[in-house]
Amino acid sequence: MKHGLALLTLALVTVSANAQEVYPSRPITMIVPFPPGGVADITGRPTAAALEKILKQPVTIANRPGAGGKVGNAAVANAKPDGYTIMMALSSVSVLPEADKLFDLKPAYTLDQLAPIALITADPVILVTHPSLPVKTLPELVALARAKSGQLSFSTSGVYGALHLPMEMFLHAFKLKMRAVHSTGGGPAITMVLGGHVEMTVGGPASISAQINAGKLRPIVSWGAKRHEAFPAVPTFKELGHDVEYYIWAGMFAPKATPDAVLKTLRDATKKAVEDADFRTTMARVNSPVQYLDAPEFARYWAADAKRLGEVVKTIGKVEEQK
Amino acid sequence: MDGVFANLMLGFSVALQPSVLAYAFAGCVIGTLVGMLPGLGPLAGISLLLPATFGLNPIVAIVLLAGVYYGAMYGGSTTSILMRIPGEAASVMTCIDGYAMTQRGRAGPALAIAAIGSFVAGTLSVVALMLLAPTLATFALRFGPPEYTALLTMGLLVLSYMSGGSMLKTLAMATVGLVLGMIGIDAMSGYTRFSYGQTELSDGIGIVPVAVGLFGLSEILMTAGQPATPPAQKPTLRQLIPSMEEMRLSVGPIARGSVIGFLIGIIPGAAHIISSFVSYGIERRMSDTPERFGKGAIEGVAGPESANNAAATGAFVPMLALGVPTGPITAVMLAAIMVHGIAPGPMLITEQPQLFWGFVASMYVGNVVLLILNLPLVGLFVNLLRIPYSYLYPAILCFCVLGVYSVGNSVVDVWIMLVMGGIGYVLRKFEFDLAPVALGLVLSPMLELSVRQSLAMSGGSYGIFLDRPIAIAMFGAAAVLILLALKPLVFKSKDWRSDVGLDETTSQ
Repeated sequence: MKHGLALLTLALVTVSANAQEVYPSRPITMIVPFPPGGVADITGRPTAAALEKILKQPVTIANRPGAGGKVGNAAVANAKPDGYTIMMALSSVSVLPEADKLFDLKPAYTLDQLAPIALITADPVILVTHPSLPVKTLPELVALARAKSGQLSFSTSGVYGALHLPMEMFLHAFKLKMRAVHSTGGGPAITMVLGGHVEMTVGGPASISAQINAGKLRPIVSWGAKRHEAFPAVPTFKELGHDVEYYIWAGMFAPKATPDAVLKTLRDATKKAVEDADFRTTMARVNSPVQYLDAPEFARYWAADAKRLGEVVKTIGKVEEQK
Repeated sequence: MDGVFANLMLGFSVALQPSVLAYAFAGCVIGTLVGMLPGLGPLAGISLLLPATFGLNPIVAIVLLAGVYYGAMYGGSTTSILMRIPGEAASVMTCIDGYAMTQRGRAGPALAIAAIGSFVAGTLSVVALMLLAPTLATFALRFGPPEYTALLTMGLLVLSYMSGGSMLKTLAMATVGLVLGMIGIDAMSGYTRFSYGQTELSDGIGIVPVAVGLFGLSEILMTAGQPATPPAQKPTLRQLIPSMEEMRLSVGPIARGSVIGFLIGIIPGAAHIISSFVSYGIERRMSDTPERFGKGAIEGVAGPESANNAAATGAFVPMLALGVPTGPITAVMLAAIMVHGIAPGPMLITEQPQLFWGFVASMYVGNVVLLILNLPLVGLFVNLLRIPYSYLYPAILCFCVLGVYSVGNSVVDVWIMLVMGGIGYVLRKFEFDLAPVALGLVLSPMLELSVRQSLAMSGGSYGIFLDRPIAIAMFGAAAVLILLALKPLVFKSKDWRSDVGLDETTSQ
């Protein structure tokens, strides 16, 4: 009992001490829910470095990979909302709870557990084929896929993953059937096309540009609203008259209950961080130009995106049921 | 050939610049340390260093990270041999005979042979990388899911050579490993299996916590169960140097390990851990005295340690020649180059000769550095065994927990390690071999994925395994292996007959 009282007093003292602290007074952890070297990691590390300069506190990256990002996303959603745990998540953050619902699983986290801070990048994805496939344009591809319905195959970064959804959007929009070969990441998915084991896949600009330039992959169409700077010759679905749009985006989040003042500090710091010269150069080099949006705009963008992706997941449904 | 020579000179002119040399050295030292710490493997080491390379030039960055990678392969054997704790996943097989050698007072030779084998394998692989990278890389791309299935099937057959004990117990343990590998999200449907609501389990159980628990913790527990404290060893200088006999026995395994490791290493997706399993199986199969394996056969150290180093270098082939990552480690290294505005792809070698040849040359230098670094350290490491167990083991336990946690920043992994330690202890009390568990756990998710990817490619037809030349060749080899595996049974029956014959002579 005595111990309890002592602890309680101690706790109260710490709480009041905390209340007077100016945020941030100690190092911040930025959780990246993917392994190092991926899009989230490559975006997160330079962002963290730029934030450090502004917040005058170390911002360390902690990779918490697992279950396509679910482990790390859930860790942040359930973290102490004090602003010392933030996250660089990818667009898949909205999809995972939907996929959980599909399997009647209790979602590991829900979207309302997360507070958006800022959108950092949004890269349109591009459909690439093995050069031996006799198609150069979208209409040719669609015609071939119709003729060989259910026989062409594509690789993905994982079922319901960031590179599976855009492909399903395309197939759904054109009422096509293809074989989905799921792998364990964007890298293996591209390797499968390079080796000619599947006919096509979807890739982010950074991961496919060198292969396209070397003629090992053929770009067909982009999911962006406008043509990508690095691939001016690749048309978009939009300009070909199809309402198919998709981006792999990376955005910063904090736990929902993080105090407004702390969120404000983080938002202001991020606004400055994306203007940082080093940061801009790094992001330009990895072919992932900054598409900054502050929290309110990002929240709207996120809501629209989550709704669209949720519908795609429902359309895909359970994989077994398709057969 | 002249071209290669001129290019190599260019490479050395880059690699021998003081700054590049210094970073290669730093990478090797960090790698050795990272490899030595239980659980903490090259991936964790490289990821921690990645942000530090953003400010460096791309050549230095890749030289540093590569140094950490192959340095970890050297360092990984140390704790495996001295304490039966795999320093990183690819050193699991080294635990078995390496630690048995330590118990017989031959820790020094085991460490020395591991270092020499790593050096030979590393250097030979760089030669192969330099001369054959583009050709090999194109070949490696032909490994799709069906070929992969065939390769893994061959890997599974290694099981039969893995354990000296009862075949029934070996198969039982392999099944445990295979079943453990079933845990997690089904890659084809997204359905989560056996996770019991634990999000952390939905990605399956990693090999690192299982290996450290099964091999390392169980050993510590076993020691605790002994009636008297084992005396700390006091190695003499003579015990540090491999004998002529040990050297002679190691030549073949190092050569074979280098080739096997390199070939498995270049295949995208194949982990170097498989190369060490395969090498161990082959050495045991080829040995005239297979019964020595598991009881401190130097071949069981030389082969796998050479194989995992050769695989580490082999992994650079598709990465440099095609810009294709073979696994998470090379993916991080590609990211490190991309951050500097170099798009890794099929044109890398021609567009960035300085980077490629500088990198190749730095690996020659790095392997020499590592040999010089590791051989004298053998004496120091062996002397760690002088520390009384009452101090040594708690310290090891701490390092195990730290190392395993650091892999995925996950407390669940630490729990898995602890539980596996307990299970490993019980199984060893009942004289079950644990290596088949590790093999099963590594192979099962990969095999399942590749079988199902193959079937997805073919729309469900098993014919896909039979109309691809590489796959057929490997399935054929697997069939031969099965027949060879049956050979000991025939021999055993011979033994049995001669035993009977012996009985007859004694009764006469």
